[in-house]
Amino acid sequence: MTSPSQEHQPFAHLSAPNAALYREVLRAFARAKERFIVHLRPEDVAAELRRDNDDALSQALDKLREWGNLRADADTGRVTSVEDFHRKRFLFQLTPAGQAAEQAIAFYEEAIGQRGALQSVALGDIAEHLQSLAVLARDADPDPARVHLLLLSLTERFSSLADNAQAFMASLRRAIDFSDGDVEGFVAYKERLIEYINRFIADLANSGARIARLLSELEGCGHEGLLRLAARREAADAVPDGEDAAEAYGRAERRAFESWLNRWRGLRDWFISAGVERPSQARLLRQAAITAIKQLIDAVGLLNERRSGRSDRSADFRALARWFAEAPDEEATHRLWRAAFGLASARHLTVTAATLEEWREVTAGTSWQEAPPIKISPQLRRTGSYERRGKPNRVADRSQARRLLLEQAEREAAETAAARAALRTEGPMLLSELDVLDPRAFRLFLGLLGDALAARRPGETEVKTVTADGSMEVRLALVPDGGEVEIRTEDGVLTGPEHVVEIVDLMAVAP
Amino acid sequence: MTPEEERAQRRAALRALLARPLLTAERDAEALVLVRRHLTELRSWLTRETGWRLLVDAGAARLFKTASDPRDGTHPARGKAGEPYGRRRYVLLCLALAMLERADAQTTLGRLAEEVLAAAAEPELDFVFTLDSRAERADLVAVVRMLLDWGVLRRVAGDEEAYLSATGDVLYDVRRPVLAALLTGTRGPSTITADSFEERLAELIAEPVADTDDLRNQALRRGLTRKLLEDPVIYYADLDEAERAYLASQRHAVVRRIEEATGLVAEVRAEGIAMVDPDDELTDVRMPEQRTDGHVTLLVAEHLATRGEVPLEELRGFVREAARAHASFWRRGVTEPGAEDGLLSTALAKLTALRLVRLEEGAAMGLPAIARYALDEPVIKGQ
Repeated sequence: MTSPSQEHQPFAHLSAPNAALYREVLRAFARAKERFIVHLRPEDVAAELRRDNDDALSQALDKLREWGNLRADADTGRVTSVEDFHRKRFLFQLTPAGQAAEQAIAFYEEAIGQRGALQSVALGDIAEHLQSLAVLARDADPDPARVHLLLLSLTERFSSLADNAQAFMASLRRAIDFSDGDVEGFVAYKERLIEYINRFIADLANSGARIARLLSELEGCGHEGLLRLAARREAADAVPDGEDAAEAYGRAERRAFESWLNRWRGLRDWFISAGVERPSQARLLRQAAITAIKQLIDAVGLLNERRSGRSDRSADFRALARWFAEAPDEEATHRLWRAAFGLASARHLTVTAATLEEWREVTAGTSWQEAPPIKISPQLRRTGSYERRGKPNRVADRSQARRLLLEQAEREAAETAAARAALRTEGPMLLSELDVLDPRAFRLFLGLLGDALAARRPGETEVKTVTADGSMEVRLALVPDGGEVEIRTEDGVLTGPEHVVEIVDLMAVAP
Repeated sequence: MTPEEERAQRRAALRALLARPLLTAERDAEALVLVRRHLTELRSWLTRETGWRLLVDAGAARLFKTASDPRDGTHPARGKAGEPYGRRRYVLLCLALAMLERADAQTTLGRLAEEVLAAAAEPELDFVFTLDSRAERADLVAVVRMLLDWGVLRRVAGDEEAYLSATGDVLYDVRRPVLAALLTGTRGPSTITADSFEERLAELIAEPVADTDDLRNQALRRGLTRKLLEDPVIYYADLDEAERAYLASQRHAVVRRIEEATGLVAEVRAEGIAMVDPDDELTDVRMPEQRTDGHVTLLVAEHLATRGEVPLEELRGFVREAARAHASFWRRGVTEPGAEDGLLSTALAKLTALRLVRLEEGAAMGLPAIARYALDEPVIKGQ
């Protein structure tokens, strides 16, 4: 692969001021080439573009020649007028660089314009091809040409499926992040979209399962043989030169085989999950599609909310914020709060049963001054309290409290087990070798140490004891001249004489 | 279920809604079950008697109460410790809601803070908020906690304390249905163009004027019922001519319907009506209360009941005296100079909220219903 030469700038016209005209001219050449016409005169180009053969066009052609998109040869054809005879005449054709640039631009435009579509059809095709391959694989001597062709079209279908899936996910995201301007379009589009995704999910589930099965089947009857056949054919195409033809051929075959294996692996990963951590692409795509439907429905809900609202609520809240900021005083803010949100509790006075009795005789025309008052004896602090007259407490529902206690007990048990596991030593070890202990393990350890030291009689240097709850056995032996050691914990540092310690977790299931 | 039990349940459901107009499944599971069970009757009663909408879905019930009296400033939003919201928290709350309205299904406290910060910086909003000080962060966290309490946000991971100490973030689910059921005004504030605060408030709660006699009567009845359901005391003097006339002829019917539906009892007097709750549950301000503040409130009430208008200066002296007299039973520090200010303002705030006292310039004035209370000698046991 040679790098494009320096003087050629076949993409320069894209950023030139007259880009549209240049594109048109080059497209005309490309179209002509499709009709197997190589050379075009300026007047042919003009006719193709349905415009006059004017100066602008000839300048454009000249410029394109300069950039290396076109090549100009002197036109030696007959002319029919004096002016033409005196004018410099050229025949133009696309240079290889210009041709490549055209193809690249066409490809680019196609890729960008692609509104990713999920092809259920592609799924079906892939399954069909695999089916045919499986038939061939069972053949003792499969036809290399057929195998190769099948594999090639399988690759082609598969890569277009993969590309499309990628584009589809991207365009879904775009569809969900619709712009506010295109509400109608979005609502109209979403029904179709959801239906479409649903169909695709179903297809993916069905064909995907079938494809996965076929892949396993093929691998069972030696897919590598088929791949090697295809690799050989490709290697034969790579015409070797020089005397080491055989070696070159071998190399080419190896390379081709590796690339086929790689493609096969891609196909496999797409449809067959490798355990929980590595779900297949198809599964991921399915999940993404389902998520997309959820998000779409959310987005639609949001839209409907916005359309049905009396006003834009976000603007409402912002307006309220401004009103609060501009309210004349604190009391005004409270008034606005109540008027806008209406979340305050109702507010009522109370009365005692005794007074209610007295009031039975009071007529509606009596003033508050004359009606019997509620007599209150303030009961002050030392007395406990003024008796609130409420309804007697109903029997409290304790199920939740019980559940909480149970959860707590379970959690503590789990934590203790973890601490025990952390303390368990692999045979005897020195205290100073204990790892940094977390607070829980450390507390447990202190308990053990206490148990062990308490069990040790004066004068003894070694002790073996089982903890009070029977869950662990600890053996402790003083190390002569061991000196002071430090045990680092998250709570701090414990110092003491060096011991050999061995802790056995009696609760742990013996391996 | 006997009819008696049915009625008790219906009352419990309505009372729950009146006490907490936004019930969520997480916090008020029992009440929500009752509301759902009696939804049809509740809804028809509320529509007929008050015109308030009742919205119930899987996760919440919302009674769209409207302010019965736009002049009443004694219903502040309250934080965790019962402290009333200040201007900054109100503004933050609205900005946070505006941002959540545009948020995705999930957000974090950090992200919300950034967005609120950006929104607060808009020039048309005369509001300074920088998140630099811990106090400002604490205000934001208080607002977020209120949103959690309402069920607008649901905590997924992390905790707010970590955010306060700038060591972590919190992840929330945003619940749009609740967000959509917060505003209760008759119009969207963004559609109101008035410039003065009072005009804005009036437009926010303005209801269409009735144009037939039937509708006018219905509007009168609903308005009065709302007031009786919401407010501790309704004085005839505060009502307009039409309301007074309606009440004079229909009082009995209106009051009876409320008594039947809520279990409140009407205390009908010459000056007005108080719907009182024998169970002492349906309220956010209690009187009488125990302890120092409760006693001060009762003493001030008694003092005002017989004296009409009293200058605040005189009341302060009265509270000072009382503090000296009860020093051994009240909390520590009540006899220190200046302590009477706090004691008095707490007591007056409570009495004002209960419509027993009206504050004038530099004076407090007992309203008729303050005569309901008579103080016996304090009982001091346990000595």
